[in-house]
Amino acid sequence: MSEILKTPRLKAAVKMGLGTLALMYLVAIFAEFIAPYDYREQTRQEPSAPASEVRFVDSNGTFHVRPFIYRSRLTDAREMAYDEDTTREWPLSFFVDGSSYNLLGIVPTDVHLFGIAANGETAPRLRLLGTDQLGRDRFSRLVIATRFSLLVSPAGTLLACMLGIAFGAISGYAGRFVDAAMMSIADTVIALPTLILILAARAAFPLELPPMTAAILLISIFALTGWAEMARLARGQVVAVRNLEFVTAARALGAREGRILLKHVLPNIAGPLIVQATLILPAFFLAEVALSFLGVGLQEPEPSLGNMLTSASDLTQLSHHPLTLLSPALVIFLFVLATRLLSRGRRSSIAA
Amino acid sequence: MLKLVLRKLVQGLLMLLIVSAITFALLASAGGDALSGLRDDPQISERTIEQLRTVYGLDRPLPERYLSWLANAARGDLGESMNFRIPVGTLIWPRFLNTLLMGLIALVLSIGISVFLAVWSVRAQNKWLDRVVEGFIFITASTPRMVLALIALALSLNIVSAGASYVFQLVAGSVVLAVPLISILLAQLLNGLQEVMSEDFIRTARAKGLSEWTVITKHAMRASLSPFLTVAGLSLGGLLGGSVIVESVLGWQGIGALMVSAVRTRDVPVVLGVVLISSMAVWFGNALGELLQFANDARIRTGQQ
Repeated sequence: MSEILKTPRLKAAVKMGLGTLALMYLVAIFAEFIAPYDYREQTRQEPSAPASEVRFVDSNGTFHVRPFIYRSRLTDAREMAYDEDTTREWPLSFFVDGSSYNLLGIVPTDVHLFGIAANGETAPRLRLLGTDQLGRDRFSRLVIATRFSLLVSPAGTLLACMLGIAFGAISGYAGRFVDAAMMSIADTVIALPTLILILAARAAFPLELPPMTAAILLISIFALTGWAEMARLARGQVVAVRNLEFVTAARALGAREGRILLKHVLPNIAGPLIVQATLILPAFFLAEVALSFLGVGLQEPEPSLGNMLTSASDLTQLSHHPLTLLSPALVIFLFVLATRLLSRGRRSSIAA
Repeated sequence: MLKLVLRKLVQGLLMLLIVSAITFALLASAGGDALSGLRDDPQISERTIEQLRTVYGLDRPLPERYLSWLANAARGDLGESMNFRIPVGTLIWPRFLNTLLMGLIALVLSIGISVFLAVWSVRAQNKWLDRVVEGFIFITASTPRMVLALIALALSLNIVSAGASYVFQLVAGSVVLAVPLISILLAQLLNGLQEVMSEDFIRTARAKGLSEWTVITKHAMRASLSPFLTVAGLSLGGLLGGSVIVESVLGWQGIGALMVSAVRTRDVPVVLGVVLISSMAVWFGNALGELLQFANDARIRTGQQ
């Protein structure tokens, strides 16, 4: 690791990438706490509402230290026009009571990180990114949505890497005919139109799946279609290391082949394999987003980055508030950027 | 040369066989197809469904069905779509041409831009230009096609009048398809060129008094072309995958969009047809890339590494 973080610029890149990823996982883990509302809760009186404007200056021009919002009401249900009621300010506060949930899946609580304190009245809803057609809070949905993607893509990557490394190592170790045959299989798989095959495999299963089943299905499909590049790389590395002196020495000492592979060969080829893994990760992440976007990944009412973007392909929706609709795209962009920073830092350090 | 072509041909046919067999088995084992949806309709009796199953041959055992599908496919008959009620070939062909058109424009665009930027950057030897190109690679590599496609869609709201939408779809779609590809190709070419530029034969070429332009385009490019072609060939599968998203978002009538609708309605013959056609197209592109390498690289021709 210390060798990897050689130049200051790369060090900064890796740190930034890791930091962004850590932040995203933190949000995903505490998603229900950070989301001000339940992601399934529909407020039919407020469909397709614009984002609440968080203000510091009220309608009289007075400055408030504490940010606040005005209550807004639907005035024209056909045009989805909303009007703000400026007679009363509703300040934002931390640790507000709201819908109940289990923190980390165990601790039952109803405290949310921030929101509008009700104090016995009906408080207006804080809609940081507006609401969707069913009046569900889009910000809450976005926060929850990170979960599925952040679970499925790393799990798929791990499985694909294990498959690929096993396949490649066996191929490189076996040599000769077996090697040639195994590698031509890998080459074929690499060249296949992966997304088309993933879609085809997806067609074999019912369209509507519960979240856990969908996750397991996607993870296995990703692993089965994405192992080949890793196999090719692992095979090349194994061949390069196989006959080096320390391996021969271990063999001379009577170590078994399996032990040599695990204890001597694999630790020495880990670097490039990790870089490859950081390249697979964003690819799987994007594939999951694409599948959910196309309606064959995670299904409504569960939110995912992909199916939240689906409503952005609706032209009338898009023309009303493009930025809030494209907000999942920003999360996607950030994740991919973070993983690229990681792989770039690592790759350069290995090349150096 | 002939040996290579033959080997690629056999390899390709084997691949098509395996891919189609696996897809066929997967789709069949799932139980459920476009016909099982009819069960929910009270107006359609069980007998009608059984008759339809016989018409589509769904009552026969799996290997038999696969072999008859394969025999028909070899003759160019991919069966009939269960939802559109027209031959799969008729359904796929015009859409395949649409996808091909957009894909080819994207490919030409990305090769052109990456070659231009790589040559310019290597020739200029300018630190700032290098930084800009590096940043360009980084940003284009991190921007997913879906996001680009949605941005293009948002832009289309302001720009497009109804008549120009075909042209807009084509241009916007090709650009969106090309962007992530540019980052891959450019990074590969830049690495290759920079490595080659310190080689002896480049010094020799310069010493002969050749212009820097000729040195780069004639000597350096030629030497770094092979890995570039490999990468370009391997990226075709990704390009086709990208077209699924781009076509769905922009409403371009290609096989990607067709595939999505076929998967959603579980139209098995169409899914199989698209898998077959797209695998064939990608395999053809790969083979072409290898043949070009063969023509370019004497080491491959003489069988050395």
